[in-house]
Amino acid sequence: MLQKELQLFIHGQELKPTAVVAAPGETLREVLLRIDVFRENQDEFLVFVGECVEALKEPHDVEDGADEHEPVDISLTVEALELGRHRHVHFHRCRHVEVEVNFGGKTKHRKFSPATTIGVVTQWACKKFHLDAAAASDCVLWLCNSSEQPRPDKHLGELVEAPQCSICFDLVKEITPQG
Amino acid sequence: MEKPDERLFEEDLLSAEFLIGAAKGQWGLPAPEVMAEQPPWPNRILWISATPRPDSPDRFYILLDFSGYRSVPPTGTFCDPKTRCMLDLSKRPKGRKDSRFAKVFRTDWPGPPYGVGGSAFYHPYDRVAAQTHAAWPGEQPHLIWTSNHTIVDYLAEFHTLLNSEDYLGTT
Repeated sequence: MLQKELQLFIHGQELKPTAVVAAPGETLREVLLRIDVFRENQDEFLVFVGECVEALKEPHDVEDGADEHEPVDISLTVEALELGRHRHVHFHRCRHVEVEVNFGGKTKHRKFSPATTIGVVTQWACKKFHLDAAAASDCVLWLCNSSEQPRPDKHLGELVEAPQCSICFDLVKEITPQG
Repeated sequence: MEKPDERLFEEDLLSAEFLIGAAKGQWGLPAPEVMAEQPPWPNRILWISATPRPDSPDRFYILLDFSGYRSVPPTGTFCDPKTRCMLDLSKRPKGRKDSRFAKVFRTDWPGPPYGVGGSAFYHPYDRVAAQTHAAWPGEQPHLIWTSNHTIVDYLAEFHTLLNSEDYLGTT
């Protein structure tokens, strides 16, 4: 039986994402071995599939929460891991990325999967700081002590490199153009 | 033969970052049934999806001039992909009063000699806006276009706006 090939997106620590084509019967290890960086130290990496959105389901009153998003066994096939649905694969040495977000003199902490987008972290932070929808519309994350604003599609894992498995953001109101 | 700016743009359309947004339905190139072929370089038409609002489209098309890409930021505005003309102001996305959204997509700017109302976005990523606002690099250094920026940065920025609570629809 013919098996339709899939386009997958591979993310990793301090790397730009890569698109690869995979067959459903291939193991994830076989797919990842096509990427030079993974080949070098494959045993040190944890591999996650899908983009993690657990933080958005977290009840308001939970403090210092953590994602359960588990690394997968890369000896399983693309089909068994349901990568046709998940599309994204993230390999990283950090099990979690410890995130600190500052806003209005307060700080919130959470341990996120490296396969969490900045967009999800921003939504989580707006919820934790009780911003209404209108206020949240203009809020963005800047890396602490900088004006660097990671794009919302970036994975946390793309911004940190083990053993530094943490990152600090300031939640700021985006500037409205004037003049 | 492709020019360097055109070649760079085409390469960026093949980047994983562009493909990820396209796979999520956030942006893309018009389907052949919408538009048989792209306008001549340096112009290109793309679309950006918008959050559902009553009586409003689920995506907006933009016609951009990519001369000098990536060294130079693009410029352009919403368009009708059938006619390739600027989208009628009545069909533009509207924003909550005094919001950043309303400012970026204002239709009373630019005036002559830089264009007509609504012919560019009031945002540092737009060439016309950037060139006519000398103070912006100091005020919004994180949004100043550099040669490291790509079409994905542009699309992600405007996709975020079109999917914000400040977007009210077209009516």
